[in-house]
Amino acid sequence: MKHRVKFEVNGEAAEIEAEPRETLLDVVRERFGLTGAHAGCEHGACGACTVLVDGAAVRSCLLFAVQCEGRSVQTIEAFGTPAALHPMQEAFRTHHALQCGFCTPAMVLTAIDMLAHSPNATETEIRAALAGNLCRCTGYAGIVDAVCSLAGREPVDS
Amino acid sequence: MIGARTLRREDPRLLTGRGSYLADHDVPGLCHIALWRSPVAHARIRSIDTAAAAALPGVVAVLTQADLDAAGARPMTHLLPIPGVQPLAWGVLAQEVVRFVGEPLVAVVAASRAIAEDAVDVLVVDYDELPPVVDVHAALEFGAPLLYPEWGTNEFLHLDYATDGLDDALARAPHVRTERFESHRIAALPLEGHGAQASFDPATGTLTVLASQQQPHQLRTVIAEVCSLSEGEVRVIAPDMGGGFGNKQHFTREECLVALLARITGRPVRWSQDRGEGLTASIHSRPQVHDATFGYDDDGRVLALSVRVVSDLGNPVLYFSGVGPSLVTVGALCGGYAIEHHGWSLSCVATTTCPVGGYRGFGQPQSHLTTERVMDLVAADLGIDPAEVRRRNLLPDAPRPFIAHGGARIDVGPLGPQLDQLLDSFQYDAWRERQRAMRDAGRYVGIGLSTLVQGTAPTQYGVAGRGGSYETAIVSVLPDGNVTVAVGSKSQGQSHETVLAQIAAEMLGTTVDRVVVRDGDTALLPNGMGTWGSRTAVMAGGAVRVAAGRVRDKMTAIAAHMGGAPTLEAVAAEAWWHAHRLPAGIEPGLSATVCYTPGRTIPIPDAAGHTSFDETFGSHMTAVAVEVCPATGDVSVLDALLVSDCGVVINPMVVEGQHQGGFAQGLGAVLYEEVRYSDDGQPQCTTLADYTIPTAIEVPRLRVVHRETHSGTEGGFRGVGEAAITAAPAALAGAVADALAPLGVTITSTRLHAHHLRALLRAAGVEPDPAAFAIA
Repeated sequence: MKHRVKFEVNGEAAEIEAEPRETLLDVVRERFGLTGAHAGCEHGACGACTVLVDGAAVRSCLLFAVQCEGRSVQTIEAFGTPAALHPMQEAFRTHHALQCGFCTPAMVLTAIDMLAHSPNATETEIRAALAGNLCRCTGYAGIVDAVCSLAGREPVDS
Repeated sequence: MIGARTLRREDPRLLTGRGSYLADHDVPGLCHIALWRSPVAHARIRSIDTAAAAALPGVVAVLTQADLDAAGARPMTHLLPIPGVQPLAWGVLAQEVVRFVGEPLVAVVAASRAIAEDAVDVLVVDYDELPPVVDVHAALEFGAPLLYPEWGTNEFLHLDYATDGLDDALARAPHVRTERFESHRIAALPLEGHGAQASFDPATGTLTVLASQQQPHQLRTVIAEVCSLSEGEVRVIAPDMGGGFGNKQHFTREECLVALLARITGRPVRWSQDRGEGLTASIHSRPQVHDATFGYDDDGRVLALSVRVVSDLGNPVLYFSGVGPSLVTVGALCGGYAIEHHGWSLSCVATTTCPVGGYRGFGQPQSHLTTERVMDLVAADLGIDPAEVRRRNLLPDAPRPFIAHGGARIDVGPLGPQLDQLLDSFQYDAWRERQRAMRDAGRYVGIGLSTLVQGTAPTQYGVAGRGGSYETAIVSVLPDGNVTVAVGSKSQGQSHETVLAQIAAEMLGTTVDRVVVRDGDTALLPNGMGTWGSRTAVMAGGAVRVAAGRVRDKMTAIAAHMGGAPTLEAVAAEAWWHAHRLPAGIEPGLSATVCYTPGRTIPIPDAAGHTSFDETFGSHMTAVAVEVCPATGDVSVLDALLVSDCGVVINPMVVEGQHQGGFAQGLGAVLYEEVRYSDDGQPQCTTLADYTIPTAIEVPRLRVVHRETHSGTEGGFRGVGEAAITAAPAALAGAVADALAPLGVTITSTRLHAHHLRALLRAAGVEPDPAAFAIA
């Protein structure tokens, strides 16, 4: 049985028919072609599927599409373009905060969400906020540097 | 250009979600594959009933190995040319017997992955369980259950080596000690799992396979063989990869299955590994036990080292073999040290567990653990500082190359000055003073060292059937003066689009932003070796440099003929548009194809019986300071520094990123990660809640200091990607051992996880101190 869901995706009104078992991750990737959200574990542990729902970072693999009725969903595709990066993306690039890039869109969204709530976060707070997003390539130093730079912080351990 | 912190060309698309990974390639009519995988460690299959699964709406096909055989599938083998290796070939799917939990037996193709999984759920497979064998030593015992009864043993391969006089040297040594060192089983865990997608075009007879694969050209060869196609009929494309780490350098059953199913069903099909499959039924790494006997004199000189290596292969149905890392281990047991007498034995053993294969470091972390623990134990026994013991045992600064046991041509720079630089940069003496003061205050602080000499840019030939020591590149200056570079290597995140562009731009006198680097497509180049073994800077970088040099020379000749000082654009236009005006004997166009080899390996024994599998070596020295909480077993890294010599540094930012990332993986391996099995062969780590990799909270910053000793290969580069992951486990084990030495705890394995350290502390009679626990 399918359910009708009305919600907003990257600022545009959307309406879909979704099976109860379809996750928000399935829907943004397969229905909207927004492949910047990645399936890393599909059990809420790695964070690679992070999107913003009503402005808050959530794991789209743990949210069913039918739970998104009336919500506003933002994916990485709403932030910056290759020719005009968002300041967070620019900071990531400057600080070599990515290698393979698979965790990166989610990491960027988590960092944007974090600084929106806590614009002068300390390095410790930044590390804690990023701890729900796993990166296997970088060892996090560049990511922490990037976010610290936008929080006006010198990383204390560098 | 070379040596600049050039920001990465690949970043803008990856940062904005425009990266294109395997699962981002939907096409109309795409079908998805799910697999019935064995729920038990060892069983004989009695029957498979596919009727209910096949009847589900949306299911396209349900296939077993018998169906694949009927469609002309050919078996997979190791291509191991080593004498004495047991015979082994296997189907793309298991048949008759399954030998680990997760071994694939039945494939379902359906309109969606969800439907395919629904169908797997209603398959009825009847089987008789056979006894499992999980422990590698139990597998070697007489009467153990046999994975392949026709072998008469579980030992897949046994090799021995010893210098003349090893036994005498051990007998004569003033001090002799025997210790067992163990490296535990872990998983590389690229964040994007394995996967493949294929479509068959009957009009052209071409099979196109997308695969998250480090060696696309070699996968092409394997798929052509398994599918009974010619190499020209198969195109393999490796798109953006969400990590590889050696885990994706093997040619897996599932990749071949996807290719076969595209041909059989005529539909485009995709298999995208889920995390449970990745953790239980993909590729594990590292499990080895070393029994090391070492003799040393009163000055701490190690005179002889003999190591018995027992290597757990899991069920060795992995193309190419899990034997590879074990061979690297035994070749690297003396590391960066001149040890006159040396020997080893190697037992590679099959168990009813997931196949074991490559992970960044590829056998070197295990040998490095043993070598560095030996140095530390000698130091502790004699009361000599471990840095001094290392200094006395390091390879002499001349000659170069130093010819190691077995014949490896070690071409690193002088190691004594590098050790001085490490001790100076780390402020080793100050740390020792601080350690004393902290110990006096009741804190358990330790310092660990790693002096790593590491083979890079290896050849597989001679140990893995085929795979020469070369790389292919095409460098072209296009008519408008922009540059394209095509290479047979394959980036999984290592910044190749940037560093190879830096090399080409420097050679051609243009800017990095005018160079486009493409990799991962067998249609670009006739053959290539891919990216693994810290080889790309040396091999692909060398190929790009030679090719760009040839194009540059041609441009110089054309420019001279044109007269004046023409721009690169003018020369390019002349070469491509005004062929009639070119100097006599100069072909039109500006493009060079190069198959570059440094030619310094000896893959087959020479007259002296020597082999040498690495084109060049890197040297990397690391120091770490840790504090261990004796109540909780928690390890905190207080400082970590690595002095890196990877020859000419193309981009220091990228090198530092490789070290920081490798250090995080090495730290994760020893502090947080372990693949565990129950006694009956059930995997205990099936999610990322059970297999925990470090987060931003756990990974400290690694300070990196560069030094540059040019290699003799093109451009002077040395490999670097596997250094820190190899150094970290040994350095951390040394540091934890140093921290806990006052409590009588000895560290002989990579298990430095809090619960393991608590067990060691309890065994040493240490009662948990509630006050310390409260502070922690």
